[in-house]
Amino acid sequence: MAKKPPPKGKVQQQARPAGSGGMNKVAVLMILAALVPFSLPTVVVLFFTMLPTMGAWASEKGAHKYAWLCVGGLNFSGVIPYLFTLWFGVHTLDEAFNMLSDGGLLLWAYGTSAIGWLIYTAMPPVVASWLAFTTDRRVAALKAAQKKLVEEWGDEVTKKNG
Amino acid sequence: MAEAAEQADSGKPAAQSQPGVLRDRYTVRSNQPIAEFATPNAEAFVAEDKRDPNRQLFALICRPELPPRVNVMRALKGATTMGFVPLVEWGTMLWPPIGRQCMTVIYERPQGRKLMTNLRAEFKRIDEYDIPRRVVEPMVAAIKELTARGITHRSIRPTNMWFMDEGAERITLGDCVSQPPAFDQPLVFETVESGMANPVARGSGTFSDDLYSLGVTIIFMLLGRNPVAHLDEEQLLKQKIQQGSYNTLVGDERLPLPLVELLRGLLCDDPDQRWDIESLDLWLSGRRLSPLQSRMEKRAARGFPFNGKEYGNCRELAQAMAKNWELAIPPVLEGKLELWLRRAVEDAERAGVIAEQVRMALNSGNDKRAGVDLMLCKVLIILDPTAPIRYKGFNAMPDGFGSALAAVMAQKGDSRLMAEIILRGVPSLWFEARKSYLPDNSLMEGNFRELKGYLTQTAMGFGLERCLYEMNDSMPCQSQLLGEEYVVELKELLPALNAAAAKRSDAKTWPVDRHIAAFMGARARSDIDRNLVQLADPEPSRSLMAMLNLFAVFQYRLGPESLPALAAWVGSLVGPVVIAFHSRDKRKELEKEIPKIIRRGSVVELYNLLENTEARAKDEHEFNWAQAQYHAADEEVKRIQTESDERSVEAVRIGKQTAAVVGILIALITTTFVVIAKVW
Repeated sequence: MAKKPPPKGKVQQQARPAGSGGMNKVAVLMILAALVPFSLPTVVVLFFTMLPTMGAWASEKGAHKYAWLCVGGLNFSGVIPYLFTLWFGVHTLDEAFNMLSDGGLLLWAYGTSAIGWLIYTAMPPVVASWLAFTTDRRVAALKAAQKKLVEEWGDEVTKKNG
Repeated sequence: MAEAAEQADSGKPAAQSQPGVLRDRYTVRSNQPIAEFATPNAEAFVAEDKRDPNRQLFALICRPELPPRVNVMRALKGATTMGFVPLVEWGTMLWPPIGRQCMTVIYERPQGRKLMTNLRAEFKRIDEYDIPRRVVEPMVAAIKELTARGITHRSIRPTNMWFMDEGAERITLGDCVSQPPAFDQPLVFETVESGMANPVARGSGTFSDDLYSLGVTIIFMLLGRNPVAHLDEEQLLKQKIQQGSYNTLVGDERLPLPLVELLRGLLCDDPDQRWDIESLDLWLSGRRLSPLQSRMEKRAARGFPFNGKEYGNCRELAQAMAKNWELAIPPVLEGKLELWLRRAVEDAERAGVIAEQVRMALNSGNDKRAGVDLMLCKVLIILDPTAPIRYKGFNAMPDGFGSALAAVMAQKGDSRLMAEIILRGVPSLWFEARKSYLPDNSLMEGNFRELKGYLTQTAMGFGLERCLYEMNDSMPCQSQLLGEEYVVELKELLPALNAAAAKRSDAKTWPVDRHIAAFMGARARSDIDRNLVQLADPEPSRSLMAMLNLFAVFQYRLGPESLPALAAWVGSLVGPVVIAFHSRDKRKELEKEIPKIIRRGSVVELYNLLENTEARAKDEHEFNWAQAQYHAADEEVKRIQTESDERSVEAVRIGKQTAAVVGILIALITTTFVVIAKVW
């Protein structure tokens, strides 16, 4: 028996994220490639310091990939002071390698990205707890309202009409 | 305990000798009976008028199980016609000897003697020349007065006649109200038709029945004795049928010609030919008419053999058949009666009608036995159309049916036969056989049709009890709930229930039973049948509200304003009505309000409080809303509890998004700070 072809709409739905993801990657790569001739020291610094962000982006699976944003945000906050030092100091490739070899830059970059990971890992259980707390409160409020109705109208109120 | 019992025993005779008091004015001495004034069904006692102690009175205490003639009491009270013992007062009174309310009638005490002490006694005969002046004139005046008031006496007999004066000049008629019409009348004073009926079912009859009784009484007066004392009632009736009333009573006695004329006129067995008041007036004024000759029914060429005897005419045969109901059916069904009518009586018309009735009975559908009974009833009516309604041994004039039913029910007898008569429409067979139209007959026929309607409904307020009160205007309510109270009118019902409320033993008993409901239905001027039907509603709150509605309407219309005991009784039963409100707050409010109303004794207010349709609708509406709220909350709780997996997935997604936002924000803030620090 020949297999039934999948519905047209479904195929389109599956194809769309893959296509848009490819476009984004191309765009990012093109911007980076354009920057390379003008700020190679910055690119070098960013490349080595933002490795955790790239790792987060590459390692996370599933539909909701938010790790690279959280890790990247904190990773970038660890890097940005050094970038400014580079931009407002000697903006050369030597200086960039010099900063990378210093260790402080990488410590900050990787340390902040570790905090990013920490936040990213801790946030879902916190939110789950919060949601559980609010739903419990809602259930309690509903049950209290039901109890009040029973007090006011008797057990008949719990019966369904008809 | 023993002491208390002793006291109770010693108190009982004391109570029995206590006097009764009627309308706070007439004292009836229960320890002073007067045998000579007693009637067969009412004891007589000395009575005193508190306002005029010298007035000579006596009281008759009616038997509670027999319906007295209240309509006649109303008509006769205060009548000053010469021909009656004056009826001074009547009403219900607590009669200590039996400890219950009894109908009491107060009469002026005649000064002279009773005309005849008993029917076997002999008394001083009245001279033939005195008869017109001393007897006929006052009696005609009395009967005229009765006719003018639309009533009949039906107790005219020498043992119920008195001389009002010591000189034995003024003859008057005694009591006629303490029992159903003609109930005490010996058969000799009754017409053939009335004599065939059961004594309790003779009915009020017409003035013609009174004139017949007067005729018989005149014969007694002329002879000074009972001319037929040697005959028992059955023989007497048979002889009246065979020979006619005049011949039976006068026999071989020689009477003066003017009186023969009078007596033949009064004792004529054909009610259409019997003398009326006008004929008596003519006779009194001296105009002589030719004496009526009795026209006896034609005798058959050969007798009809039935139950070991031979009967020579239809009336005689019908009477014998009515007395032997079961034996009468086979010869009729076998066609022997038809043949006899055709050949021996030579009455082909009646024979044909009977043959048709037999054929219909044999072809009747489901209930063949009922068909045969109705057929025999119809056959008896055909044989003797003027006879009473005769059905399975019960013989009643149509207007005597009510008192018969009252007596049967008061004596707790078997009333099934009476119910059967009404349900099967037996009276209509009798009415259909009338040769001439009489408005009273069509009115009675309509009433019987109405009764059939009531009888087909078995709910409270209908049935045989309703028939009882519909047929007897003066019947006191027979409910056990009323105890010893004597309730004849609707306005007396609530006060009686109020009095009975204090004595009730079972708190859950309703103040309405079949008798009270039927009594209310029959006595209420408006149509309350819809409310009576609701009394039987299976929903307790609805039936209770129907009862409250009835009581409230009667209290509002007839009073009294305060009935605390009855209000408490009804108030103790309103639980289901209060519970019918859903709101607990409303219930509490009602429970707080009801005792206040009970203290005021107002059933009307109680009804208004509970029958607040606006509050009830609001309660229902709000309850429905509350029910919807409850179930919506239930649904939501269930949804929350069943969607925990989805929620944890959602929590992870939101957590990740939140972390992402936090990361971006930190990056932005850091950048901003660094920019400011470097540029500043």
